[in-house]
Amino acid sequence: MKRMLHRRHCLTAALIMAGSGLPFHRAQAQAVEKANAFLQQTGDRLVAIVNGALTAPQKRQAITQILEGTVDVDGVARFCLGRFWRIASTDQQKRFVAAFHEVLVTNISSKLGDYKGVKLTVQRGRQQDDEAIVTTVVERPSNPPTTVDWLVEKPAIAPKIIDVFTEGVSLRLTQRQDYASYLTRNNNDVDALINAMKQQTAQKG
Amino acid sequence: MHAVFRQRLPSRLIFLAVRALLALGLAGCATPPPADDPDAVADFVQTNDPLEPTNRVFYKINDGIDTVILKPAAQAYRYVLPDRVRTGVHNVLDNLGGPVRLTDDALQGKPRRAGDTAMRFLINTTAGVAGIFDVAKEVGYPGHDTDFALTLANWDVPEGPFLFLPILGPSSPRDAAGFGADMAINPFTWIGQGTTAHTVGSWTRTALGALDQRTGMLDVVDNVKKTALDPYATFRSLYRQNRTAKLATLRADNQATIPIWWPQGKNTGETGQSQNPTPR
Repeated sequence: MKRMLHRRHCLTAALIMAGSGLPFHRAQAQAVEKANAFLQQTGDRLVAIVNGALTAPQKRQAITQILEGTVDVDGVARFCLGRFWRIASTDQQKRFVAAFHEVLVTNISSKLGDYKGVKLTVQRGRQQDDEAIVTTVVERPSNPPTTVDWLVEKPAIAPKIIDVFTEGVSLRLTQRQDYASYLTRNNNDVDALINAMKQQTAQKG
Repeated sequence: MHAVFRQRLPSRLIFLAVRALLALGLAGCATPPPADDPDAVADFVQTNDPLEPTNRVFYKINDGIDTVILKPAAQAYRYVLPDRVRTGVHNVLDNLGGPVRLTDDALQGKPRRAGDTAMRFLINTTAGVAGIFDVAKEVGYPGHDTDFALTLANWDVPEGPFLFLPILGPSSPRDAAGFGADMAINPFTWIGQGTTAHTVGSWTRTALGALDQRTGMLDVVDNVKKTALDPYATFRSLYRQNRTAKLATLRADNQATIPIWWPQGKNTGETGQSQNPTPR
């Protein structure tokens, strides 16, 4: 009888675990797995473009396509404007986001040449709050391998990249602090920032 | 450009730098934003750069020196010497930092890191031919970066406001103090002091160290200058994030004191105990 009781307790405990904890962990693991696969796929596409034989405008076109599909550019833009997002008018917000898209594509496209022969390997992923962090190693010829972490939002449903960390340095935070400093030194004028961004992209084409 | 000289610079230059900072520096302070804008105030506090106007002056001076001297020198260094030679030079300089790193590892209470550093110094100085080849890495003793400022940080000494120092680049009171402490700890600062060999040695080490570090950062610095709207603010952000990340890595590094090549089941107490009784 005692043994049966014991068994029943075990069964209950097992059921409770099955009902709560386990699926949660499984869902998390699945989300991380999905994020890893998503990143490997995105990485493969990028590497193919970098090492491929497209012309410069074609490459830019291809990069734009990948960015729009895999990065939450609007969200990142909003993050980068920080507290000035609320100061900005709806029209300014719109123009800022548009300029930000251009800046991102231009910056990435202009660096493609440096990454010839690049290799990206997904190492592992982990869940952090609602997001997943995927760790990759980027190898370039005659450069030491670099650890790059990718912050992925909604990893289980609609994964999108929202930040990139190189050796612990956040790309979007750096960008936000750059913009904040520029705005503070230019009377918090969002139009001045947008113009400066446009000038940058115009220079590099 | 920045943090270029962090590790190896004769003490005389540091004194000059600090004196210049004191003479010029404390004059210009940043104006805090009006108190009725709490977001702006929060930003100001977080940026923690009350000496910004002065810091920007030194940034400009350093940038000028860098453009005229350091960057071209680094470019020439990269152009003239093949990869392998530069790696060798880098390894020798890195190896000379062994004793300082060992002291810092110990003061940080990281026995595994200290063990790695000690073994690296012994192996690379001998089998690695005075440090030219990083043999230790191949046999399971990977290298790591550390300094006394991180030791202070690990002891919860606060960072303090941002400083942009002449020649040294981005820093903070804690990092500057750590830099001085590392120089004082370094046996190569003291061994044979006053002799010609010491003078030549320390200047060579300084010059090569500067070239080595600047060469490693050629692409990064160029990229920031091309893409940032306010390079000073971007370098400040990068420097701070980099230091924070290093501290996080240091704090999270609590590996057991068994090297990689030793069967990991042994000595851990639990996993391999029954199958692998440790010989005593």
